[in-house]
Amino acid sequence: MVSASTDVKLMAHLLRRAGFGATKEQLDQYISIGYDRVVDSLIDNEDSSRIDNALVRRYFPDQSVTHDTTGAGSYWLYRMVSTDSPLREKIALFWHNVFATGYTKVTNGKPMSDQLRMFRSHGLAKLDELLLKLSRDPAMIIWLDNVDNHNGAINENYGRELLELFSMGVGNYNEDDIKECSRAFTGWSIANSDYIKQLAVRNSIMPYGKLAWRYEYKEEDHDEGEKTFLGHKGNFNGEEIIDIICAQPATARFISRHLYHFFVADEPPVPSWPYKEPQDLAAISILEKAYFDSGYDIGEMIRVLFNSDFFKSDTCHYKKIKSPAELAGNVLRTTEEFGTPNIRISERNSQITFMGQQLLNPPSVEGWHQGLEWIETGSLTERVNFASQHLGDLSKPGVRRIVQNVMDDEGECISASVCVDKCLDQLGAIQTSQYIYDTLVEFAQENGIPSINLVKDKENAAKKISELMSVVASVPEFQQS
Amino acid sequence: MDGRGFMFPVDTAIGKNGRMHTVSRAYAPAAAQLRITMYDIESEYFGIYGGYGESLGQFRWPTGMASDSMGNIYVSDELNNRINVFSHEGDPIKYWGEAGSGEGELNGPSGIAFDSEGNLFVSDHMNNRIQKFTKDGKFILSFGNKGRNTLNMPWGVFVSSDGFVYVADWGNDCIAKYDSSGGFIRSFGNRGSEDGQFKNPSGVAVDKDGYIYVTDWGNERLEILDKNGNFIQTIRGQATISKWADEYFEGNYEEAEPRSRSNLEPNPVQFGGDPHEESAHIEKLFWGPTSVKLDDEGRVYVTESNRHRVQIFERAV
Repeated sequence: MVSASTDVKLMAHLLRRAGFGATKEQLDQYISIGYDRVVDSLIDNEDSSRIDNALVRRYFPDQSVTHDTTGAGSYWLYRMVSTDSPLREKIALFWHNVFATGYTKVTNGKPMSDQLRMFRSHGLAKLDELLLKLSRDPAMIIWLDNVDNHNGAINENYGRELLELFSMGVGNYNEDDIKECSRAFTGWSIANSDYIKQLAVRNSIMPYGKLAWRYEYKEEDHDEGEKTFLGHKGNFNGEEIIDIICAQPATARFISRHLYHFFVADEPPVPSWPYKEPQDLAAISILEKAYFDSGYDIGEMIRVLFNSDFFKSDTCHYKKIKSPAELAGNVLRTTEEFGTPNIRISERNSQITFMGQQLLNPPSVEGWHQGLEWIETGSLTERVNFASQHLGDLSKPGVRRIVQNVMDDEGECISASVCVDKCLDQLGAIQTSQYIYDTLVEFAQENGIPSINLVKDKENAAKKISELMSVVASVPEFQQS
Repeated sequence: MDGRGFMFPVDTAIGKNGRMHTVSRAYAPAAAQLRITMYDIESEYFGIYGGYGESLGQFRWPTGMASDSMGNIYVSDELNNRINVFSHEGDPIKYWGEAGSGEGELNGPSGIAFDSEGNLFVSDHMNNRIQKFTKDGKFILSFGNKGRNTLNMPWGVFVSSDGFVYVADWGNDCIAKYDSSGGFIRSFGNRGSEDGQFKNPSGVAVDKDGYIYVTDWGNERLEILDKNGNFIQTIRGQATISKWADEYFEGNYEEAEPRSRSNLEPNPVQFGGDPHEESAHIEKLFWGPTSVKLDDEGRVYVTESNRHRVQIFERAV
């Protein structure tokens, strides 16, 4: 078994966590740039994509209006597959899980897509800016009922989740703080709220398709009275509440733990956080310090994280299980099936759902419980079938090129072990256990790869190597990050 | 699926006796909504025909429509790479077309238009060319993909009564004009949002006085130029409640009542100058105008996919 150099292993690790993986060709390019500069470019680059929005909209009007999960989900999958700014899509996935908002109640994909666009553009910004955007986000306002949060008749749903699930976590505030927080967000509503609520409940597309939603501050419905929140007293509006929240050590801890959980290693489910210390308290402390030093800047926290020893350590490589969206993004970027808009994108989006993650429709306000919970009997079968089917399909341009790369420079024949080494290398410098490696070599041997003449029987060789790729796609290290 | 209404319509043909035929492209999980709806300008509904598939009378990505002198309806299919032919009553007659890039082969046929001699011009958009066929599919000539001024993913096509061919050159953000043999004459416009500029135009039509109508898809508007390409007018859309929509609200007071209290024309300034967002929020505006057609009475028909409707305008003069 060939072990990749430290530089290669580290870059592959970074690209799996900060993006959707990278092939050998892509890794070579990144390595020539250098780790630190790659980290900076991932964080600092503006959002850009290889597929222009206009091209997608021309072929798919449903992805132009994004009025349901099919159109909006397929559009997002396009973004993941075609983006040149993979961290922008990953941070959108991150916040989509933390600020989980679901289509089942919103029943309009456009505001959901708008929310994701906001995560893309502000997900690496300062937390106070992001929470302000979130509090004014029409999908969130419907999802957590702030549209029904009125002066003199508060609805605590948004105020409660803002503290419990979006910033501080249970145990760092009391019920009075929730009420006062909710009072501060009265009047934070959407335009045409009665009509929009009615359309959402009836899931109506009449008469001319779904309307886009927009934030509207209803001053006459805002509670201007004095509030006491986390020990502070004043005529607070939502902006001041967010300022107070962001200054709390509990918020620094909560956000740091979420970032660690998403980018480094699985933490226990969020509801247990008040009772269980972080598994790596030193790492969390480093992130907390970055949070305050940078003025609550998420991008700076992630820069510190990616440059930290705890992230670079071999001990956390392959310790996360790819979410279905991450797995699909990795596979479809590798196969290059979607270099241009293609009708099969909605089918691929459905396959992500079958793996247990319907984009734009998390199961609850807690989002998806990640980690081992991605792996159930049915979802594991779907994951393996998905990855194996596509990475073993020679009609896909990316697969054909990788297979050609494996055969290049090998003369007339290739040994089973060299073939396995090159396949693992081409798919992103994948490091397997010795047991998995031996199993792959055994498969290559039994599949007859060493006995095929690569020059005279090229198509048969390509087919056999693609079958090996299909098996590689099913091994734990490919399914993990 | 039966019934009135459209689902992501992309083109309209003005057929026999003023009957309009609008094709709904729908989308993958709603393939049952993919169909052609027959109606007239008074919103009288005459039924539907066509459907999703690859058999006679079916299509997968319908895009362009045209009516021949007999009133038969022709529909292009970008995914099946063929032209479908229906009678004016919607009975399937035949289809023709082969996938490929050779002479007479198709790769993504989109806009289609007849000339006065009954030949069909097809915007073969992935081959970056226009092809001319007899109405039975016999290849005559092709142009647009060689030399200077090559087309870039053309969409709509129109043949004027004096035989000139106008092409909505989607990828080059302009309207290209050719003679009947495919000789390039000139182009109108360039990329932008100012008067006379375009962003990914989708459709083009020319009236008897030579005025050029362009669905400026990326700018979500209809632009009108004179015969020399000088800017005359922009229309962003002025949709009212249709007869079908009106009848819906009569039976759905729960929606009609709060709607009556809503502001559906917010100030567009708040959408940052993005026409796509303006049209998403302001219901009366064009959203995804994919084709423009004219009738003999001088009316202008704009099919807009994202609002599932057709806006019809009378000429002012």
